[in-house]
Amino acid sequence: MAAKTQGLHISGMRQFKAILKKDIVMELRTKEMLTSMGLYALLVLLIYYVALSQAGSSFDVTNIAGGLLWLAIVFTSLLGLNRSLVHEKDQGCLDALLLAPVDRPVIFFGKAIGNLVFLLIVEVFVVPLFMLIFQAGKYANLSAVGWLALVLVAGSVGIAGVGTLLATMSVNTTGKDFVLAVLFIPIMFPLLLAVVAATWAILKASPDMAVYWKMLAVAGGYDAIMLLAAYALYEFVLGA
Amino acid sequence: MSGTQQTELALEVRELSRTFGARKALDKVSFELPRGAFLSIFGPNGAGKTTMLKVLSTLTPPSKGTALVTGLDVVKDAVELRERIGFISHNPLLYPDLTAEENLEFFADLYCIDDPKARVKELLTAVELNHRRLDAVRTFSRGMIQRLSIARSLLHKPDVIFLDEPYSGLDPHAMDILDSLIEQVRAEHTFVMISHDLQKGLELCSHALILAKGKIVLFDEREAIDPDAFAATYRATVGMGVS
Repeated sequence: MAAKTQGLHISGMRQFKAILKKDIVMELRTKEMLTSMGLYALLVLLIYYVALSQAGSSFDVTNIAGGLLWLAIVFTSLLGLNRSLVHEKDQGCLDALLLAPVDRPVIFFGKAIGNLVFLLIVEVFVVPLFMLIFQAGKYANLSAVGWLALVLVAGSVGIAGVGTLLATMSVNTTGKDFVLAVLFIPIMFPLLLAVVAATWAILKASPDMAVYWKMLAVAGGYDAIMLLAAYALYEFVLGA
Repeated sequence: MSGTQQTELALEVRELSRTFGARKALDKVSFELPRGAFLSIFGPNGAGKTTMLKVLSTLTPPSKGTALVTGLDVVKDAVELRERIGFISHNPLLYPDLTAEENLEFFADLYCIDDPKARVKELLTAVELNHRRLDAVRTFSRGMIQRLSIARSLLHKPDVIFLDEPYSGLDPHAMDILDSLIEQVRAEHTFVMISHDLQKGLELCSHALILAKGKIVLFDEREAIDPDAFAATYRATVGMGVS
């Protein structure tokens, strides 16, 4: 991805690194996204705790742990995805990005990878806490932790990719929070089904690896298709 | 039009239209501007001035017609054209949580400038902000932000610089500094500026254009313009309503 015009040697990789570095530096400085996402996730866990407190000791939370965990991750990610584009829009910086000789997919991957990094950072704290509070990983051994990490990455890649595309679409709308949620959840539905099922399969008393791999393949396929679609559509979305 | 073709014209606008739904923001606008010129665009709010700048700077595609900037088509050659244009707005287009130096280095990387640190230092010195290079932009005054915005727009040595009401919100001292900066780089660039200040716009320009309801009401060289008649024409357009 290199072209030479006007004496400039345009490098998509250099531009990608610049966008990613800028987002990370800004977030480390303000901690706006990480703080709001982290606090929101903790509140969701608190609500779960209250909701499940009356279930009694015979209730095995591992049967619904996958759903609960991914519900928390999806709602938390919505908060961060909105902020990532609003930052650019508020100061007119999105226009500054668009005025630069940057291929639009480079902007997409820069923003999406940034969102993925922030989401994974939040998950590193929230997932162990979730397992600890609800004893959702009581049957899991060390290898299950690795399999769970793989599902979390597969789900987070889809969330960050599709979410970045939809957040860009909704950033110019008046009710951007609402619009993002309304678009995001139905489009994420197949991925959610897959990662919830894969998480359930790995956390249950007798892990079902056949279901796990099948669902992980579905999640991987979804990620690949949606990332390609986002890559192809991002220029249109930015120009719309 | 070949992407690398050199032309004596900085802008060639032919029958350019831009519609938003049923509303015509630009309606068959045509004009030419030579390289090195300074065009001031006047007109009431909603006349289509900002839309014209957005189309010429590739931010918004035209609905109909063509526009060539330094011989490059704003649609077909958009990526290459973006290397040749700079944009200064009343909106700073800078990240308030980054320092002045970090902002310029970020944009230097987007434009893939060789030796970005040296270029950033050179520009920070030129706009007299080197002593504040490590301070976050959010701590800057309006005038300082505008000076940094100018540095950002000059990073890649563009041929054409678009200015969207650059004097908006500046105090007289900051306006003087902006005047001085424009004067320093004027010989090397073509300027296209939107202004509501008739006196300032006419003082700076080599060509002037009045836009109203998306159409050109007047376009001429500065030398051929009588300021009083021009002011009367401008005032008349204010009553024409929006496009």
